Amino acid sequence: MLQVADVSFGYGPSGQERPARAPFTLRDVTVDVPRGSLTGLLGPNGCGKTTLLKVMSGVLEPSRGRVTLEGEPLHAIPRRRRARRIAVVPQETHPAFDYTVMEMVLMGRHPHLGAFAIEGPADLAVSRDALAATGTAHLAQRRYMTLSGGEKQRVVIAAALAQAADLLLLDEPTASLDLGYQLETAGLLAELNSKRGVTMVLATHDLNLAGLLCSQLVLLRAGRVLGQGATRDVLTTAMVRQVYDVEADVSYHPGAGHLTVVPLRRSGHTDVHR
Amino acid sequence: MTIRRRLLLTCAASGSLLALTCLVAPLVGSTQISLPRALDRSIPFADNVDAQIFFIARMPRVAAGVVVGAALASAGVVLQALFRNPLATAETLGISAGAALGAILAITAESWISLGPFSPVAIASLVGALLAIAVVYLLASAPRRPLSTAVLLLAGVTLNAFISAIILFVQYLADFTQSYRAIRWLIGDLDVGTFAPVLGALPLVVVAFVMFSLLPSSLNLLSVGGDLAATRGVNVVNVQRLAFFSAGLATSAAVSLAGPVAFVGIVVPHLVRLVVGVDHRVVLPVAALFGASFLVGCDLIARTAMAPVELPVGIVTAMIGGPFFLWLLVRRG
Amino acid sequence: MAARAKRLIPVAAVACAWAAVLAAQQAPARRIISLVPALTEALYAIGAGPSVVAVSSYDDYPPEVKTLPRVGALLDPDTERILSMRPDLVLAYGTQDALKAQLQRTGIPVFDYRHGGLADITATIRRLGVETGHVSGANRVVLEIERRIAEVRARVAERPRPRVLLVFGREPLSLRNVYASGGQGFLHDLIDAAGGTNVFGDVRRESVQVSTEMLLSRAPEAIIELRVGAPPAGEQARREREAWQRLPGVPAVRSQRVFILHGDHLLVPGPRVALAAEDVARALHPEVFR
Repeated sequence: MLQVADVSFGYGPSGQERPARAPFTLRDVTVDVPRGSLTGLLGPNGCGKTTLLKVMSGVLEPSRGRVTLEGEPLHAIPRRRRARRIAVVPQETHPAFDYTVMEMVLMGRHPHLGAFAIEGPADLAVSRDALAATGTAHLAQRRYMTLSGGEKQRVVIAAALAQAADLLLLDEPTASLDLGYQLETAGLLAELNSKRGVTMVLATHDLNLAGLLCSQLVLLRAGRVLGQGATRDVLTTAMVRQVYDVEADVSYHPGAGHLTVVPLRRSGHTDVHR
Repeated sequence: MTIRRRLLLTCAASGSLLALTCLVAPLVGSTQISLPRALDRSIPFADNVDAQIFFIARMPRVAAGVVVGAALASAGVVLQALFRNPLATAETLGISAGAALGAILAITAESWISLGPFSPVAIASLVGALLAIAVVYLLASAPRRPLSTAVLLLAGVTLNAFISAIILFVQYLADFTQSYRAIRWLIGDLDVGTFAPVLGALPLVVVAFVMFSLLPSSLNLLSVGGDLAATRGVNVVNVQRLAFFSAGLATSAAVSLAGPVAFVGIVVPHLVRLVVGVDHRVVLPVAALFGASFLVGCDLIARTAMAPVELPVGIVTAMIGGPFFLWLLVRRG
Repeated sequence: MAARAKRLIPVAAVACAWAAVLAAQQAPARRIISLVPALTEALYAIGAGPSVVAVSSYDDYPPEVKTLPRVGALLDPDTERILSMRPDLVLAYGTQDALKAQLQRTGIPVFDYRHGGLADITATIRRLGVETGHVSGANRVVLEIERRIAEVRARVAERPRPRVLLVFGREPLSLRNVYASGGQGFLHDLIDAAGGTNVFGDVRRESVQVSTEMLLSRAPEAIIELRVGAPPAGEQARREREAWQRLPGVPAVRSQRVFILHGDHLLVPGPRVALAAEDVARALHPEVFR
């Protein structure tokens, strides 16, 4: 569905072309996101996960290479049409004004609205549906800023759902959540993927979440792809060592029902406990 | 309630308030006049003092209040969304400072250049404001990248400080009467005396309002996050430019007409948000309407509070706005 | 006889010394610095001109002051320069507290100037005469002023007194920021002496900022604008007069009794105030000044 081909990207000082010798944040990245998949982007902090998501959503234009959506070059697609096909759930959302939950979710309908940007009954229905799907219908009239971290995250996901896009890009969706909310959100995402067929790309540093949710993984380090493929093939002790410099025990956990990763020690160091 | 209904209801309410204010304001002032006598066609106009006061002194003043109030309030709303900060104003961006510098240079240079009914001071302040906008924009913008609001803010603050220093220097060189005139201009005054200056500023304000009408929905999205707005189909660079220039244009026109009337751009948007919520599709039109009523109301107080002496309207807005602003800061803290 | 005379010598010496000291104390000031243009004019008028060593930045009358050093003005007096010139009398504004304190510390006498009406002008000139040892000169000037003003009053005594608006400042080419004389101060007294009634006579202030509404409701029958400096060239002068056409309903505009007077003496509460009174009276009552 989404193809990232030989993409390199570098941040320059704002407004200028990246100076010739400045480092690239992404280097020769090629990623394939099949329709209906749940792809995880993994890697240590600063490896370029967020940048890659921004390149995938079209917010950033690659310095080299191409991004195509179902064969069409991403930047050739007009903004609004792109927004109807790709939705983003950012890591943090801080509205400057005290919007209600409903107003926040309705903003996701923007690419579907007509000339005067006034939502109709259909838009309201889609939004309510999205709230219901994320279990936040009862919060509709509450002020967004008064919600808990978990509730906020679910509202933002609902807004992305309201956008009715077939590709959802999520940046660390469980990073700031309590354990309980982490499980809930994971369950929600799995359901959206399996029942509604929403293709998802998930950037996360939580290896166990990746093991739980993702059918395929992309492993990044210092802006390069070190490994890519089905989770069971790619999530290995060797890969974890290569990407994180960590010795870990990667094994199937029967109770959880998926691969789990238990970090043991830094590569080249002895165990933490001894 | 649907957005459509809310919009209609709030606009009807604020529109009625404006109509009421505009009906009452010309009737009240430091001099008692009688409306029947003012409207009495049988008395020749040159002999009818009541009519003269009503049509020459008060009506243009009310008209100026409507235009300036609506322009400054709307510009405030747009800038607060652009900066993602409910405390942002045109003063922050240095627009008012640019206008002030233009005006004070015109006063000090005893400039005799004028275009028809527009005084040298009005023209110079308009030019000053537009130049300030251009400078701030150039400093903060980069090709194809969104406007950095942080740089925009810094550029505005820097320009403010720089211009204030120049103003003080020019004031020092000026003589007594010039300094006095400059200070008076800085306070803000609606006594325009004829409709001509109002009609002159009107095209600029109308253009600004047409630009405003394209913004509200995008402002909502922009105020949640620039990147997020982009993924929802908003052309962030264009919206920022549109917001910045429309707010700048409205402010420039208003300031060239009445001087930099303080606090309208911050008090009115906040009061409006307290009542109608934060959706810009409702806040923007209501702020324009209520801003007009607010300023006409303040001018009414200015004209009557210390009769027979009249206060400039800027003093009344400052006396309301100052404590209000303080309360806002305390509340946020 | 020689012994008695010898005993008288010390007494005589002391007596002479004492007389000399007394005389020195009452000697007129020889080094005067003036920060107030109106007082500078007064100094020259009463004969103390030769004693003036420095003036303010805004002084330009009489022509003799043009070559004198400048020591600042109301807002920015150059205290250092003033002190360095070792004056024995400084004429300063009543509000210049910092400067006065400095001068008092150094023991330099200060002549306090405060704004006031016509009567205050003459009183100030007399006081100046005493302080500078030119009492007779001061009396002469005061008598002249009083005589001329009395003559003006006499000439216009039988004439009807129009309601007058005396404007001393406004925005060029428009009627915004109009400043006019209130019911106090020497400008108000000028109106009275020149045979008019101040439309703002009831306002207990020296100056009034006049809005359009106030212009219309007070309906002056004559408008006099006092301006410092030379009249502008023809075209500009015409445009300035035309500014008042915006209010054709005002009686003064209708009957074409709007006068714009130019002159350096018009706004200075000093010795030439009688000339100002004559100018205003001539504008208000041209018939009695042919």
